[in-house]
Amino acid sequence: MEKASHLSVIVDLSPTQWHLSAQTSNQYPLSIETFLSQLLAFLNAHIASKHENSLVVFGALPGKSVLLYSSTELLSDDAPSLDANSYLPFKLVDSTVVQRIMNEFDAIGELEEEPPCALVGAVTKALCYINRITHPSSTMPGVAEDPSIVHDPRILILSVSPDLSSSYIPIMNAIFSAQKLKVTIDVCKVYGPDTVFLQQAAHLTNGSYIYLERRDALLQYLIMSFLSPTSIRKILAVPKQDKIDFRAACFCHKNIVDIGFVCSVCLSSTHYLYCFVTKF
Amino acid sequence: MPVQSLQNTDVIVPQHAPHPLLPFLQSQSQTTLTRLYQRPSSCLSIFRLLGPIERQLIMNLLWLESALSVATMSAWVLPEGKNAYDSALTVMTGLHIAPNSTVKLALNPTFKSSLRQAITGGGNTGSFGVPTDKDGKRQSANIENLDAYALERWETILHYMVSSGQGQNPTKPSQGVLYLLQRSGLMNNAHGAALQITSSGFQFLLHSPHDQLWNLLLQYLHMAEERQMDLVEVLSFLFMLSTMDLGREYSTEPLSETQKAMLEDLRDYGLVWQRKTSSKRFSPTRLATTLTSSSPPLPSSHSTGGSRTADGTGAVALSSGAAQQGFIVLETNYRIYAYTDNPLQTAVLNLFITMKYRFPNLVVGMLTRESVRKALGNGISADQIISYLTTHAHPQMRKNNPLLPVTVQDQIRLWELERNRLKSAEGYLYKDFASQADYEYVLAYAKQLDVVLWENAAKRCFFGTLEGHANVRGFIERRTGSV
Repeated sequence: MEKASHLSVIVDLSPTQWHLSAQTSNQYPLSIETFLSQLLAFLNAHIASKHENSLVVFGALPGKSVLLYSSTELLSDDAPSLDANSYLPFKLVDSTVVQRIMNEFDAIGELEEEPPCALVGAVTKALCYINRITHPSSTMPGVAEDPSIVHDPRILILSVSPDLSSSYIPIMNAIFSAQKLKVTIDVCKVYGPDTVFLQQAAHLTNGSYIYLERRDALLQYLIMSFLSPTSIRKILAVPKQDKIDFRAACFCHKNIVDIGFVCSVCLSSTHYLYCFVTKF
Repeated sequence: MPVQSLQNTDVIVPQHAPHPLLPFLQSQSQTTLTRLYQRPSSCLSIFRLLGPIERQLIMNLLWLESALSVATMSAWVLPEGKNAYDSALTVMTGLHIAPNSTVKLALNPTFKSSLRQAITGGGNTGSFGVPTDKDGKRQSANIENLDAYALERWETILHYMVSSGQGQNPTKPSQGVLYLLQRSGLMNNAHGAALQITSSGFQFLLHSPHDQLWNLLLQYLHMAEERQMDLVEVLSFLFMLSTMDLGREYSTEPLSETQKAMLEDLRDYGLVWQRKTSSKRFSPTRLATTLTSSSPPLPSSHSTGGSRTADGTGAVALSSGAAQQGFIVLETNYRIYAYTDNPLQTAVLNLFITMKYRFPNLVVGMLTRESVRKALGNGISADQIISYLTTHAHPQMRKNNPLLPVTVQDQIRLWELERNRLKSAEGYLYKDFASQADYEYVLAYAKQLDVVLWENAAKRCFFGTLEGHANVRGFIERRTGSV
């Protein structure tokens, strides 16, 4: 019997980037509404695959990250009313996610300058969540046999913002913890230039990084590449990046550098990189 | 089944035993299936019953408007997954989800539009059940009551089966259930009026509740065919139940006549609950809502309840931790300690152990040669005993590796082998050959045909199978005729 799989989805909700993405001057304009409707269909497809599949959705908003939906916790008190034409868990996901995103957007208000999106915060929260569900408390012995314990956790990052070089160290730390937890990180670059760090994240955790070329076919991309759990990826291949940008960011100016110099003193313990401009 | 396969985690290609319902669906005609696919809830449930590769393939094809060429899809398949991919395609064609074609791959249009509708919501098929408004006067059934009801019903059936041969008089399930048990060959009344459990009935008792349930429902489906019930209505009602929310009440108004008749049967099995037989509303129990999942369909009778969260169905999986806990401790000296006060579990254990002591919460017994041979005589196999013990092992036992003492496992298998010392086969004995040369000549011919079961050169005779007789006989006749 196959096991349940867990999916944490991290949605980059930067208002500026989404505004740019919806511009009609793009070859394939994609507004957040269309994006959300396709994303919800994808989330439902994940829940549809197996009764025990668990799902968590985090949103990376300017300056903060929030939990949008969790299949194991009740987030809103008012359960949606049943209706004869839809499956209740699907309806629950759809209404909760949309409702909470709307609330968050309303709360942003008019800002002079938009703080960068807290993508790292969302990744870290997702990792903590996975850690919690994969290592249930030891007070319940025998629970290891529970079919609801996930064996195949995955994180899917839907990114629209460009790289934030100041978050290089936290991202790398998150990648290392993901490797340790055996979490696969998949990245779908919905809008904007390629991000170096997320490419590395996908590569190092054996996930796949996809740059969305035909943005009108978002749902098909999501389903074909990111729906299958790792056991199925051994049978039906998923596209992987063949060229990965391995450049790192320097620690002093947070610039992404082609050539970095490693301090010969602290080399053994830390891999500190310094760029040319730094005077020792 | 859901629990015990955790040991082999390093299987490369996921081994997925097909769901027992799938062969039944495959035997149905295309028109029946297409009618069934008109309902989104049925599509969703069938989708869940399929294996992981089939599901991924269906999803890949679901949102495509035009057909995909077979070559494009197989380009995604890695070489080592070729076999799994091919068998997945066979399953899909068998269910008429994808038409059989060597050029183009596409989904059955009815299935496609219904599954799309299930995932996106909307439409007006009402296939997920019409909920009733809150009744101000009476409180609707809460989940504990529903669980207790389902458990009581289900255990009544099993308990009746297990104690039928022991001269006890347990509560009889309803007539419909008795008839079903008899029809399915789990019980028979060959030796007089009282129903007796059969060897397949004994095997049935050791299965997981999920398997037992589907086993009975399959029989019910076969019976429905004979009773001239509309199979599509029956199946879609079962699938509808499996997508319903536990602890809610649904209206019987939109149900067809067939489905209303089914309500009565399903009430007897414990799948649905109704306040009164004439009530206009019904609630599915956990037995029904977990039909298409692998979470345990029954809370164990001494479960702590577990906390209920989000949507009731998703939470089942979490709260089942307590329910799934085993209760059997098996020691290397063949002693079994079973921490249970459940008469059904005790009765099932009694099938293959010799009881020693009974305490309010503990039963102590021994696995002995006699007790195991008695079980084997009833048609239970050694593997079934071992898998039952594995599934219900106490959490303390889980620390051991291997879980059950090897000596005990081996001994149970040896006891089974003991019974298989004699093998019977029908056939013919060829003897009284005129000369050694004759004998060897015929024997060589028979060996060529691979029909020799036993030979004795000293006595110049050999024993051949029934199938080979015509050939061997012809050969001898031709030979004697030519001399």
